[in-house]
Amino acid sequence: MLEIAKITLENEMDLILAHRGAMRIGELLGLSFSAQTTFATAVSELSRNSIDHGKTGCLYLGISNEQQKEKYLIACLKDRSVKDSKKNEGLEYAKRLVDKLTVSTAGDESSIELQVAAPLLDKLNSKKLEEWKGLFNEEAPISPYEEIKRKNQQLKELTEKLQASESQYKTLTNALPLIIFSLNNNGHLIYANEWLYQYTGETIAQLNHTGWQGIIHPDDYDSFRLLLGSKTDSAATNIKTQCRIKHRQSDSYFWHLISISPQKDEKDEILHWIGYMVDIHAQKVFAETLQDNRELKETQEQLKDQQQQLELNVSELNRSNLELQQFAFVASHDLQEPVRKMIFYSDYFLKKYAPVIDKKGTDYLKSMMAASHRMRNLISDLLAFSQVNRQQLTYGHINLNQLAHEALQDLEVAIKEKDAVIHIQSFPLIEADAGLIRQLFENIISNAIKYSNTGVQPVINITCRQNDNDLIISFEDNGIGFDEKYLPKMFTLFQRLHTRESYKGTGLGLAICRKIVEMHHGTITARSNMGKGATFTVTLPITQYY
Amino acid sequence: MNAQTMILFVDDDKEDCGILQDAFEDFNAQKHIHFEENGEKALEYVARCHTANALPCLIVLDLNMPRMNGTQTLKHLKLNENYKHIPVVIYSTSLNGIEKDECMRLGAYDYIMKPLTYQECIDTAKKLYELCLQFSGTTSQQ
Repeated sequence: MLEIAKITLENEMDLILAHRGAMRIGELLGLSFSAQTTFATAVSELSRNSIDHGKTGCLYLGISNEQQKEKYLIACLKDRSVKDSKKNEGLEYAKRLVDKLTVSTAGDESSIELQVAAPLLDKLNSKKLEEWKGLFNEEAPISPYEEIKRKNQQLKELTEKLQASESQYKTLTNALPLIIFSLNNNGHLIYANEWLYQYTGETIAQLNHTGWQGIIHPDDYDSFRLLLGSKTDSAATNIKTQCRIKHRQSDSYFWHLISISPQKDEKDEILHWIGYMVDIHAQKVFAETLQDNRELKETQEQLKDQQQQLELNVSELNRSNLELQQFAFVASHDLQEPVRKMIFYSDYFLKKYAPVIDKKGTDYLKSMMAASHRMRNLISDLLAFSQVNRQQLTYGHINLNQLAHEALQDLEVAIKEKDAVIHIQSFPLIEADAGLIRQLFENIISNAIKYSNTGVQPVINITCRQNDNDLIISFEDNGIGFDEKYLPKMFTLFQRLHTRESYKGTGLGLAICRKIVEMHHGTITARSNMGKGATFTVTLPITQYY
Repeated sequence: MNAQTMILFVDDDKEDCGILQDAFEDFNAQKHIHFEENGEKALEYVARCHTANALPCLIVLDLNMPRMNGTQTLKHLKLNENYKHIPVVIYSTSLNGIEKDECMRLGAYDYIMKPLTYQECIDTAKKLYELCLQFSGTTSQQ
């Protein structure tokens, strides 16, 4: 059926409208006046029946579909079906008045359709149908009732549309991945989409009660409250801030951009505020990371610069170190020659010409020779010191006992002279440079013999113990010892604790020892009580890891 | 091949040469020592001796010399089939373990220190002369 008019049936007044509508549509379709009256009577009968039973039905007036060959005028009454319908007199009567009457029931709803042939109805087009629809709606109402009824109908339709539209908006706002809300002028929530609850786990009422505490990050809370209370500035169009909001599920805060705008009435007074909160955490983290990255890069650049400077300094140092080493080596090596000659010539003089020079001359010659000898010792020690660096360190698995005995052979003269006794414990093999370690032993043992107590037989105990990869070697003597306050200086170049007259020495022996030990990644130290002997302790790695 | 009872003494230090010459004169053996001032000249001298069929029976080498130093000279001598049997004594200012080991590896007969005193000088000269006599005896027997 193609609908032209619709009339709700609520009371007797509507009966008149139904009758009138039926007459009018019959007229439009070109029915004879008697046919119009018959159709209208049938419609009235059915409508009365519906109104009498209080079933609030609805009457539709229209024509048959284009597809149907025979053209009909159709009236269809839809209402709630009544099971206990007695013999329906109205229905029976109406049946006789029309060409066709069909009754159908679908669930709760029953519908009665009346059809009357409309032979004069030409081919119908949609334009004509709209025209007729307009006629029905625009036709001047016949009574105030009809006017009210019509307005009422329009209002109802408007409400339905509005409701549909609102529900569409709600669905839309709920579907957006951001929190949308409105606030009254006290900063209280009026409306919020579902996201607010889903995100924070708090309802509007709860948030209004707590004032968002526990949801907004404590550090951002003040600026957030300021935003909620920004009713003062009515000129503001849009206020924004950034806060961290707690996510219910992960129980952690995420950065959000919060924006509110005032809604004003025609008098430019603020009705309420609408706003949104959007997650900008990724953006924020990205920006922070970018910043950090930039700082990191700057630091890296600085580090690089510094490293280059450092490398420059190191290479400069290495160069100057190497030069010094070479200088020390060349100088000490080449200085040996003239000193040797000085010794030789003064000796020659003493041997060959002693009878022809006086005592003073002889004494001076002797002093010259002694000074030359000191210089020779100094030079040879310097040479030894420079060679500890210069010669390439060659690690081998060395037998310390054998090296110790070789050192004792070298010191044979001194040992015999002082009648020294030296006890040497058995050592494990260690990884070291044989030549240097032998020199180390020699220096320490010769010191122990040199600094012995007068009239006391020197006794030196050389013992060792193992601690993981370290071999700790102790050289314990019964000599004169030293004051421990000199310990820090003892192992540095040219440091002497005694006058040359009392003990000979160049002040290089222990410096050489320290250099040898440090080149082996070990340590050397000593302790002593004045007059009660000294113990030198050397710690050397058993295996070298380099 | 005949060996003359002659020591070839190679040292660029004129004073050391003079001192040793004095010492040899002390026991009247100065004609048994010949001086050359560097390795090159020493090799030339040895070549001349070889041509004359009278090689020295002992060569004493200082290490630090211009043009050709002691170690290089030692290598040359030991690589030559005609000279490699001649004993070579290294005559050095200081005792340097590495240097000594290197020389002994290259085939030096001995490594001695230059004398410090007059007495040591006489002793060294005498020792060298005795070695010379000893080797002239053995080589002449060959």
